Amino acid sequence: MTKIVPMEEAVAAIPEGALLALGGFAIARSPVAFVHEMIRQGKRNLTIAQCIGAFETDLLVGAGAVKRLIYAGGTLDRPGPLHNINRAIAQGTIEVSEYSGFSLALRFLAGSLGLPYLPAYTLLGSEILERLLQEKNPEVALGECPFTGERVVMLKALQPDYAIIHVPRSDPQGNAIIYGPCWDLEAALAAETIILTADEIFSGELTPQQAQEVAIPAPRVKMVVHQPYGAHPTSVYGKYDYDRRHIDEYVSCATTPEGMKKYLDKYIYGVSCFDEYLELIGGLRRIQELAADSLKKY
Amino acid sequence: MIKSGDYTTRELMAVAGARELQDNQNVVVGLGLPQVATELARRTHAPHINIILEIGVVNPAPIEPTVGIADPRFWYKSEYFTTFVGAMGQFLHRGLVDVGFLGGLEVDMYGNLNSTLVELPGGGIRHFTGSGGGNDIASLAKKTLVIMPHQKRKFPPKVSYLTSPGYLQGGSSRREAGLKGGGPEKVITDKAVLGFDKKSGRMKLLSVHPGVTIEEVIAHTGFELLIEEVTTTAPPTENEIRLLREVIDPLRMYIK
Repeated sequence: MTKIVPMEEAVAAIPEGALLALGGFAIARSPVAFVHEMIRQGKRNLTIAQCIGAFETDLLVGAGAVKRLIYAGGTLDRPGPLHNINRAIAQGTIEVSEYSGFSLALRFLAGSLGLPYLPAYTLLGSEILERLLQEKNPEVALGECPFTGERVVMLKALQPDYAIIHVPRSDPQGNAIIYGPCWDLEAALAAETIILTADEIFSGELTPQQAQEVAIPAPRVKMVVHQPYGAHPTSVYGKYDYDRRHIDEYVSCATTPEGMKKYLDKYIYGVSCFDEYLELIGGLRRIQELAADSLKKY
Repeated sequence: MIKSGDYTTRELMAVAGARELQDNQNVVVGLGLPQVATELARRTHAPHINIILEIGVVNPAPIEPTVGIADPRFWYKSEYFTTFVGAMGQFLHRGLVDVGFLGGLEVDMYGNLNSTLVELPGGGIRHFTGSGGGNDIASLAKKTLVIMPHQKRKFPPKVSYLTSPGYLQGGSSRREAGLKGGGPEKVITDKAVLGFDKKSGRMKLLSVHPGVTIEEVIAHTGFELLIEEVTTTAPPTENEIRLLREVIDPLRMYIK
């Protein structure tokens, strides 16, 4: 059974106020095309959960679509900070729950296993923990190991309504192949519903080699959207490099709210779909410049 | 023989970092000087060092300059790809990471780090990077190496937000908090190498870089340093300088 749906339809399934895990990490494998469409469809009041803040989340916060952010901080690596997220936190326009990367990954892991929580030795003694304990509805607690009596931090399971994961390749059923590191796997498997955006759809029976490469299995996937270069300007290992030129332009726009508005108007509201955006950033010629080398994978 | 002036301060910092690493250690590495220092160690006295990136990459051997751990250039020739839990859980939380590198906006007298926010003089805050994996590394690595520019405002008596734990309030407070990792071992700055008194957990001056005086270090530190025997930081060797400039960072992105 094919699960391929058009982008508009997949995005339309996300209700206002949903809790979403997004798959990106700084400037790698961000589901940018999906987020563009969410912004165009005017989604609001979203809660976003993501271990390490990434490009697509900064975009979504900059568009005013996010009510609450659960993350562990982040940057766009050397190209710059997550200006929109940092500004929104400083100005109090979003609620934020800040974790460390691993503690949040454990919340996803607990969610993926159907456990109520997982204990860990991280966060202890930090202000991160102090603030999380002071939240109105705390999602962490201090406790002790029933066997050794040692102090542990208990991290409540997190099961997002949806995980939006960008992958290089998927079959129509949603068997998704991911090359390179797979930082978003725990978040994906924790979600109630997984929606994939894929650069490439491959069909036919899975070869044994392909089966080894499947990171997210079809039984967990609800929808697959085919969107070539759907993570641009972030990279997809084995497919294409990040677009430094565009990321630099983004960072300089995102420095101010006015600049961000211009960026959104030009690249998101000013086009009707992601393919049009890809024309705007340089079209086929630019895309071919970014294509990954088959040996280096970038 | 290498003289001062034959190398940059950042080259000296990279060398000081590399010398803290031993062969066969597992090291969590980030962008910039930590990567440069680890590569230098790997190409000199520690050829079997294992490099772990929190994004889920083990033992890469990059051949091009990178812009961060999410840059696939940093993953080149990696031996193992895994998940966030695979890197930060099954290596770090398991207690298998010997050394982690850290940095931030502020470090205080007990080696606590702030990488999250600063309070503005007129009220309000400015938000920065946050923890990433920094808190996890500070909590769980057997030891950590902090790399910081040496400025008074970056060395306050107490950090304005405790993102990543050092020795907390000093004494036995780190252990009492339940932290398993060993805590900060060294702070490497552009002026000096500092360590910590084992008992009190307070920062102490170990060596000043060639040409830097103890008074200068004191003047750029916002709290009282423990000062006993202070040596001069050993300068780089010709081979280290050659490796840094010709092999590890030929574009001089991080060592200029």
